[in-house]
Parts: sequence; structure tokens; C-alpha cells
Amino acid sequence: MATGTDQVVGLGLVAVSLVIFTYYTAWVILLPFIDSQHVIHKYFLPRAYAVAIPLAAGLLLLLFVGVFITYVMLKNQKVTKKAQ
Amino acid sequence: MASEEASRSPRRSRREPEGRAPRQDKYSVLLPTYNERENLPLIVWLLVKSFSESGINYEIIIIDDGSPDGTRDVAEQLEKIYGSDKIHHVKYLISSVLLRPREKKLGLGTAYIHGMKHATGNYIIIMDADLSHHPKFIPEFIRKQKEGNFDIVSGTRYKGNGGVYGWDLKRKIISRGANFITQILLRPGASDLTGSFRLYRKEVLQKLIEKCVSKGYVFQMEMIVRARQLNYTIGEVPISFVDRVYGESKLGGNEIVSFLKGLLTLFATT
Repeated sequence: MATGTDQVVGLGLVAVSLVIFTYYTAWVILLPFIDSQHVIHKYFLPRAYAVAIPLAAGLLLLLFVGVFITYVMLKNQKVTKKAQ
Repeated sequence: MASEEASRSPRRSRREPEGRAPRQDKYSVLLPTYNERENLPLIVWLLVKSFSESGINYEIIIIDDGSPDGTRDVAEQLEKIYGSDKIHHVKYLISSVLLRPREKKLGLGTAYIHGMKHATGNYIIIMDADLSHHPKFIPEFIRKQKEGNFDIVSGTRYKGNGGVYGWDLKRKIISRGANFITQILLRPGASDLTGSFRLYRKEVLQKLIEKCVSKGYVFQMEMIVRARQLNYTIGEVPISFVDRVYGESKLGGNEIVSFLKGLLTLFATT
């Protein structure tokens, strides 16, 4: 069994993903069928963001991974240069 | 003593049954070692204990990578104590001028090849000699193999009650993340690809080593992927991995990047 903090973090991750999943599902799938005068629309951003936000997040992730890999490889090169 | 009885009997793969169903199976344990002078007697004792308790026919093959700390002498003494039909020590030196600290990870495939040359069993068990794998799981491996007539049985840390002891949260997340990416890219049909606690049929291991080209733990991954390619069956047994050594050396960015490189190479070539 995982230790105390690990379990908490794990549960936290699950909870966060559930929230994001329900919100996004409601946003994209349920809202179009709800009358546009209904009060629930106040809680959701304009639909355009439903595409823009995940796209931006994906790009940021790729950027981060790219920077990380470049950083490690450069550091590696410097180390091998020093060893020579 | 069990060892004396063993040295009297002939050293062949077919043996007289000891009041059980005929057992013609012999299990060779390959232990590649590098600087394991203190752990080696313990692991050998644990192995002998598990095997004797389950009445399994076995042998242990120690492949030492030219350790500077005297592991070789320990192995030779153990060979004398337990009898050279149960413990076989294979000396094996890397013929390079400098013995770099992580050399043993690169020499794993070669160590297996050398070890297999001296193996007289029809099944091969590979494991770590640094006590991160507990031999008590070996009878479960054997049982699982017979259950499904598998070509390979792999110890998994990610299924059932398998797990790791001694890793902090960051290390566990990285491990799970890596496994997740691997599952997506390679679809291997096994839950733990980088584990090195496995049971192989001897001919399966020989065939796979021939085909594998990577080094380090990507080598372990490649074995499973190639096994799937060749349509070998793989069974899994949950194990506990006790990390007291590698948990201390943090998983650096370097190793993450080389893992990703290896993964992409595998993805592209299989």
C-alpha cells in the first residue's frame, strides 16, 4: 500500500481529473442542448474556449518537454566536452 | 544437508522425482553482479532456501563483471560451500582499460549470454543481485508458468499487489508516467516493461537476446516487445521491488532523456 501522503496526492489527482472531465463534458456535450436563456450558461465560458484552452495546454506541454530535453542534452554536451 | 544430497545426485536436467509428479524441469538463476560482495551471500542463501523449500531443481550462475571489491572471491567461496552443481561461478571481465562505475548496466546482455552458455536448466530466471528482488516470488513465477504454459513470466510492479518500496512520490510519478507513455506507444501486452525479474524458457531467452540491440533497461523493454513480435506468451506475477540503492541516486534528467530516446527507437523499429 502506498504511504499516507502518496495516497492523498493520488486521490487529489483523481479528484482534479474528475472535476475537469465533468466540467468539460458538460461544456461541450450538454450545454448545446440547453436553452440559451438558462442560468447555467453563466458558469461556462464561450464555446470557442473549449477548443482554444486544450490546444494551448497541449502546446505548452510540448514546449516544456522540448525545453527540458534541449536543456539536458546541452548539459550533457558540456560535460563530455569537459571530460575531453 | 540438502546441498550434500544434491552433490551426490547426477547433474542433469532429468532427475528422480522426490515423491512428486515427475520433474524434469531445472531452473537456472542468472545473477549478474558488480560490487555485490555483501549482498551476494544473502541472495544466494535466500535462493537456496526458496528452492529447497519448494523442492525445485535449480542452479545458480553468478556472472561477475570484474568487480574490484572482491565479489569474485565471495562467489568462489559460495561455490565451495553449496557445491559446484548448485552454484556455478562464471568469471567474465570487460576487456576495457577503464572500468567505469555504470559499466555493468551496459554489459547485461553479454552477461546473460555468458551465463546461458553454462546453464544446464531448461528455464532461466533473471533477477537483480542487489536484494531488490526477493527470491520468495520465484515459486510463484514457476507456478504461473505451469498454469498458462507461458514462454515468459514477468514480475510486475504495476498490477495486483505489486509495488515498490523505498521510492519517494516524485520517483513513483515518473515511473508511472514512463510506463503510461510506453503502454500507449508500444502496446506491449505486459504491465511492467522495465522490470528485470523474469522467468524465461531457455530457448526463448536465447532467441530474444540475439534479436535485441539496446542497452541498459531499454534492453529489458526491448525483450518484451520483441517477444510480442515473435508471438511468445507472457504471464505476469505481482512482485515487490525494494529499492535501497537506486532510490538514493536520483533519477536525473539524463536518464529520463535516454529512456525517451530508447522508447522512440523501439517505437520506430518495431
